[in-house]
Amino acid sequence: MNWVKQLLSRRRMDQELSDEIREHLDERTDDLIEQGMSPADAALAARREFGNVLLLEERGREVWRWTAIENFFADIRYAFRQLHRSPAFALAGVLTLALGIGANTAVFSVVNAVMLRPLPFPEPERLVSVESRKVLAVPSPDSLSYPTFFDFRDRNQVFDHIVSYRDDSFSLTGWGPAEHLSSQIVSWDLFDLLKVQPALGRGFLPHEESAGERVVVLSHDLWSNRFGADPTIVGRAITLDSQPYTVVGVAPAGFKFPVQNARVQLWTTLAKDAASDTLQPITRQRGARLLSAIARLKPGVTLQQAQLQIGAVAAALVREHPDQNKIVGSTFVRPELESLVGDANHAMLILLGAVGLVLLIGCANIANLLLARFAEREREFALRASIGAGRGRIVRQLITESLALSLSGAVAGVLFGMAMMRVLIPLAEGSIPRIQEVGIDARVLAFSAALAILTSLLFGLAPALRAARSDLVAPLKEGARSVSAGSGRLRSALVVVQISLGLVLLSGASLLAASFFHVLQRDLGLQPERILAFSANLPDKDYPRERALQLYSQLFERLKSLPGVSSAATAMPLPLTGDSMTISFKIEGRPTAPSERHFSSMAVVTPEFFKTLGTPLLEGRYFTGRDNGAAPPVLIVNRAFAEKFFPGESAVGKRIEPGATSDARGTRMREIVGVVGNAIQSPLKPQPSPIYYFPYEQLPWCCPAVIVRTANSPLALEGSIRGVVESIDKQLPVHEVRTLDRVFSMSMAGPRFQLLLLGSFAAIALLLMVVGLYGVIAYTVARRTGELGIRMALGASRQTLLGMVLGGAMRLVVIGVAIGLAGSLAVGHLLSRLLYGVEPRDPGLLLVACGSVALAAALAAWIPARRAASIDPLQALRCE
Amino acid sequence: MKTRKDLFPGALEMMILQTLKTQPLHGYALVQIIKRSSNDLLQIEEGSLYPALQRMLKDGWVDASWGTSPTGRRIRIYELTPAGAAHLEREVTSFEQMLEGIRLVLSPVKP
Repeated sequence: MNWVKQLLSRRRMDQELSDEIREHLDERTDDLIEQGMSPADAALAARREFGNVLLLEERGREVWRWTAIENFFADIRYAFRQLHRSPAFALAGVLTLALGIGANTAVFSVVNAVMLRPLPFPEPERLVSVESRKVLAVPSPDSLSYPTFFDFRDRNQVFDHIVSYRDDSFSLTGWGPAEHLSSQIVSWDLFDLLKVQPALGRGFLPHEESAGERVVVLSHDLWSNRFGADPTIVGRAITLDSQPYTVVGVAPAGFKFPVQNARVQLWTTLAKDAASDTLQPITRQRGARLLSAIARLKPGVTLQQAQLQIGAVAAALVREHPDQNKIVGSTFVRPELESLVGDANHAMLILLGAVGLVLLIGCANIANLLLARFAEREREFALRASIGAGRGRIVRQLITESLALSLSGAVAGVLFGMAMMRVLIPLAEGSIPRIQEVGIDARVLAFSAALAILTSLLFGLAPALRAARSDLVAPLKEGARSVSAGSGRLRSALVVVQISLGLVLLSGASLLAASFFHVLQRDLGLQPERILAFSANLPDKDYPRERALQLYSQLFERLKSLPGVSSAATAMPLPLTGDSMTISFKIEGRPTAPSERHFSSMAVVTPEFFKTLGTPLLEGRYFTGRDNGAAPPVLIVNRAFAEKFFPGESAVGKRIEPGATSDARGTRMREIVGVVGNAIQSPLKPQPSPIYYFPYEQLPWCCPAVIVRTANSPLALEGSIRGVVESIDKQLPVHEVRTLDRVFSMSMAGPRFQLLLLGSFAAIALLLMVVGLYGVIAYTVARRTGELGIRMALGASRQTLLGMVLGGAMRLVVIGVAIGLAGSLAVGHLLSRLLYGVEPRDPGLLLVACGSVALAAALAAWIPARRAASIDPLQALRCE
Repeated sequence: MKTRKDLFPGALEMMILQTLKTQPLHGYALVQIIKRSSNDLLQIEEGSLYPALQRMLKDGWVDASWGTSPTGRRIRIYELTPAGAAHLEREVTSFEQMLEGIRLVLSPVKP
């Protein structure tokens, strides 16, 4: 424990050393006086012989220290003292860094949660997603059909397991009030594939895929909230869609599958699809592509091997079933995490890049501040050098000061980032999978700390290098003015960098803004205001076709009797959601091979659908109540459909045969009876998609949403709607109640999120740039006060001086804008995937962005320039 | 003019230890004796003695205690410890070997 004693007695020891040295000097002085020197000369000579007292004393003390560490702490202490002594500088620096590091921390924590954090299952890296690859101009992923999935499952040797899953829902009754439950229909080995052991009971067994089997696994939440965490629930039956289902297990707490969907409350096997009452269950329809699939690679099997083998199976299926499988002749097999993140990946990386630019701009600002400060502190450094500080010591000191600044910035930044995430995450509104899991973890903190060190190097290096190079003692010489010639050039270069990076951000943000407003202002082909949508699924068992039709007509009647309600209808899928169903069709008189058939989106609607939406009829007629199952089969198409498939002629009266069936009569030739405006299904698709509409009574497919138009506030209607549904059937849970405006807003969440982020980054960048430019011009003016004074005394007009200063600033702006423009053109294409209806090199927008940057810069330069022009020559010269 | 602080690493320490071997001394006396005994050939900066003494204190080669000089001055007297003596012996041996080596190299080869 010797070192502890040392540490405690150090002050005394330091004191002793000082005493000893003083005694030494006294003794020497006395000796010299004795030899005949005058006392003053003797004292001087003693000191000269002794050497640098302070330095030697310091070296003596250092013997007892862990020098490196203690110096570091001394530097840190000194650095904080320095910051404390110039609070304005410290505040500016810390704020800039807090903004920069905070924004980076926030974006990175999202990237971390969404893209980097592994899936919450054992050996997550071996999980892959399997999708069909639709053979189109741009190949796109598509869902699998059951027969294709079964073929993949039976014919591969690369997967331990492959599991299909799809969204579904149930009505839970007989256990408190009726409740709508979100569920997944999966193949039997889901839990084995994920290597997850249920908290209670077991997962599914192979035979439980057969039609007639009814088993479920409950989510932990559902089990705790709805069934009071009753452990005896396993083995008992609960009533779902009026059928008894046996609970075989309870999932562990926190279990989520699919990972991005936290709302799933129970899982059942594909027996539900195999038992469907439809003529042919979808487990046997090769054309019904509605499954996602996840698989686990066998040990030792690579992704490439899996891709090859599944690709070969897909190719074989094209030969065996050309009609249904030709369009999906190959597959995408990719890491599950990658497929989960999907398109969000691209947007996230762009945002991360953008926020990185903001930090760079901030660093340039701080480097500029530090350079100016260094110029002011040259005398301090000279003094320290002359009393024995080594050059290395001063450089280290400067770097420590930068580090102190950036660490303070990082701490403030992490706090700011956390606050920012609170605001950000709700804004993403499901447009980014797993974003609810965003938080600060070790990786995020490490990232912020790394940023702090990196930034301190970035902005601390310039003054440190200057200190290492320059003659530190020169400024001490009488009357010497601190003129570091290179410093001005370096500072100008930093400002040019800021201007160009700021322009890149601003032009990116303006592209996103233009695209966002383009989508907002496009003609939706419908009036979403004052429409309320909700769902009330009818269990097949209780509602065979006839009863379902009856229920809906009864429902519409009662809804329309509510005050303010003018019309009601069902729609499947709901417009503006981006959901779509695609089905092939033949056109009468144009023979085509089955694999070459036309495709179009479709929808199933009731007669008042178009009236409720406010979609105009362009030609022919709307559906009426007479277009029922007994009447001749009919269709209505939208304008995009008419123009695509019947260009230059009227679509009304044409007959087509869609591949959609709902009864034993099979597919039927249908007559187009009307053409309507393009009611937009997917707001983010650049062009309105062709859609053809079936009357619900002729194709009563499951699960439509109900829409109601009211003259009053739509949300105020919710209570009465629940009452109406309950008055018809107490067992029908009403769910997903929302206005159509809200639906639209949800589908815009992704672009809005991106715009908000990039927009605020650009705003911050612009602000930092203005501050930076202002600082540099103001500093230049201050340094040139004498020169400007002389010029004025010699007869230069104020106008000339103003022009001179502004001209200097504008040169930087022009260079910066030119570089920034080139940069914007170079990176514009990165944004193209996020843009709707706007070209990434739109000249008008680029011009506006350049103009805004130039204007902001001019304003920033104007203030110091005016000060230059208002210099009093007498005073300026007196300063000299 | 600055003097050379050290002849070679450890030289100053060796001289201090050698000087302390005969008697305990305080810093000022130590410097005077070293200077005198080298006939002022070795110009050492007086102050550089003190960091060296601190190092040796830390390594346990010398001990220090406060006392009063015959002239009534408060002085810190340094004394060689057994560890210091052992160290000195090692240093002197290796120094003499080095010196011998240098001498052999520098002296003309005998026929």
